[in-house]
Amino acid sequence: MDAEPIVYVVDDDSSVRLALEDLFASVSLRVRSFASVQDFVARPADSGPACLVLDVRMPGQSGMDFHQQMGELGQHLPTVFITGHGDVAMGVQAMKNGAIDFLTKPFRDQDLLDAVQRGIELDRDQQKSRATEIAMQARWQQLTPGEREVAVLVVQGLLNKQIAAALSVSEITVKVRRRSLMDKLGIKALADLVRLHDRMHPPSA
Amino acid sequence: MKSEQTSRQRPQTVLVALGLTIAMALVFVLDTVTDYAVAAALFYTTVILVATRNFSVRTVVALACLCAALTVLSFALTHSGFYEVGLVNTGFSIVAIGVTTYLALRLVTAEAAAGEARERLMRMARITTMGELSASIAHEVNQPLAAMVASAGAGKRWLAQEPPNVEKAVGAFDRIVSDASRAGEVIARIRRMTKGEVAPSEPFDFNAAVSEAVRFVQTEAERREVQLNLELADDLPDVLADKVKIEQVALNLLLNAIEATALVEAPARTVTIRSVREGAHEIMFSVSDTGPGFKPGEANALFDAFWTTKPDGMGLGLAISKSIIEANGGRIWASNRHPGAVFSFTLPLAARPHHLEPTEDGR
Repeated sequence: MDAEPIVYVVDDDSSVRLALEDLFASVSLRVRSFASVQDFVARPADSGPACLVLDVRMPGQSGMDFHQQMGELGQHLPTVFITGHGDVAMGVQAMKNGAIDFLTKPFRDQDLLDAVQRGIELDRDQQKSRATEIAMQARWQQLTPGEREVAVLVVQGLLNKQIAAALSVSEITVKVRRRSLMDKLGIKALADLVRLHDRMHPPSA
Repeated sequence: MKSEQTSRQRPQTVLVALGLTIAMALVFVLDTVTDYAVAAALFYTTVILVATRNFSVRTVVALACLCAALTVLSFALTHSGFYEVGLVNTGFSIVAIGVTTYLALRLVTAEAAAGEARERLMRMARITTMGELSASIAHEVNQPLAAMVASAGAGKRWLAQEPPNVEKAVGAFDRIVSDASRAGEVIARIRRMTKGEVAPSEPFDFNAAVSEAVRFVQTEAERREVQLNLELADDLPDVLADKVKIEQVALNLLLNAIEATALVEAPARTVTIRSVREGAHEIMFSVSDTGPGFKPGEANALFDAFWTTKPDGMGLGLAISKSIIEANGGRIWASNRHPGAVFSFTLPLAARPHHLEPTEDGR
């Protein structure tokens, strides 16, 4: 689970790749570099928190396109853009698409290292929350259908009496299911249940 | 006219000098043996006119003085005819020689000024072309700069470690050196393109010049997602022309082709760059694009000054290209193909070795 962080560099210029590999190595970061987006996509899996350093303009698929596509596919790897010609509009677009930073070549080495560090922290947090989410999902799956019905109505703010009426069961049954589901989910307060439910069932779904 | 002059070779100049000397001698003899009434000395003006086309201002003035002196000498040696008529004729001849010299030199100076202005315009066009490439150039320079900054940062950190990792640091510094020379090379290429000096025609490797122009537009082509196909003939003999200007023309045609190609949405956006030997004395260079082409009637107008289809164009690129190619003894033309357009030009081969001698260096 707690693998070493890794930096991915995607740039078509070999001297930039070599220099960045060495820069990250000099601060003891693992690094892997690729000449194109295609090569990057075919990379071996790695479980460590990661950050992507992406050149905007490359032959083949551009970094910008790829980043947008990654977002649409829900594979959000924190990304730091680097570009040979600073273009404000492009930078704005990149930041809107959720980039960590947009650095114009030649950038200060410390700026890049800081941005990458932020990216790695972000990915670590995202990994952690993804892990808790998966755990929560597993617990939710443990609930019986009856308990789930009760949970949904509790979240909607109904009283036990109303829930009993809605489900045509006794108020005692509602109380029993309610205690049982709180135990299974490992939560105590009603607020936690509401938060959990919202996370399981986003408003849009 | 002027370019003919600048490319004139030394043996020719010597020949002209010899011809003028004989002509002056003939005029002198004629002026001396005929009587006073014949103003043979007026023929010296012809000598002056020819001389202004071939020699420096100082030489021409000296020559005019010599002609005047010879006229006076002829007058002194001649004894037939009316003395007064001779005196008046001699006066007329000397005034004619003076006026002719003055006017001819004025003309030459004006031509030189016009030539200089055209030279400046061409240089401006060259700089404008480079300006169009500024994004690509910035990219090309910033790339090694970024690598250098990163390598320097890495080197510093390797040395700051306990114990310092000298081997890694040296590796980083070696990379900095090679990236710096790469950046320097880009700058040197730009300087070669934008410098203002007038280069004489010299034999040079045409394909190498084309490759240099292609390197300039490579990033621009990538940016616009245009594929460049190079079909350069092997073993192309050297051509005789002004290399920097020919590169400018090639660059101009390449940029136009890339721009035109980028206008259309097509699966294969390509620009094909071709060089072939054409007969015994020429090479032909062509750039074909897959852009929208031009209207059938426009083929000639394309090369007119201030005629443009680009919203922000000045319409000078092709006009200047045409004047450069023609001044270098070649032809340039455009043709439509489907899809796209082809721009071609020819240049003379450097041919015989004794043409390679340095050219006359100014007047």
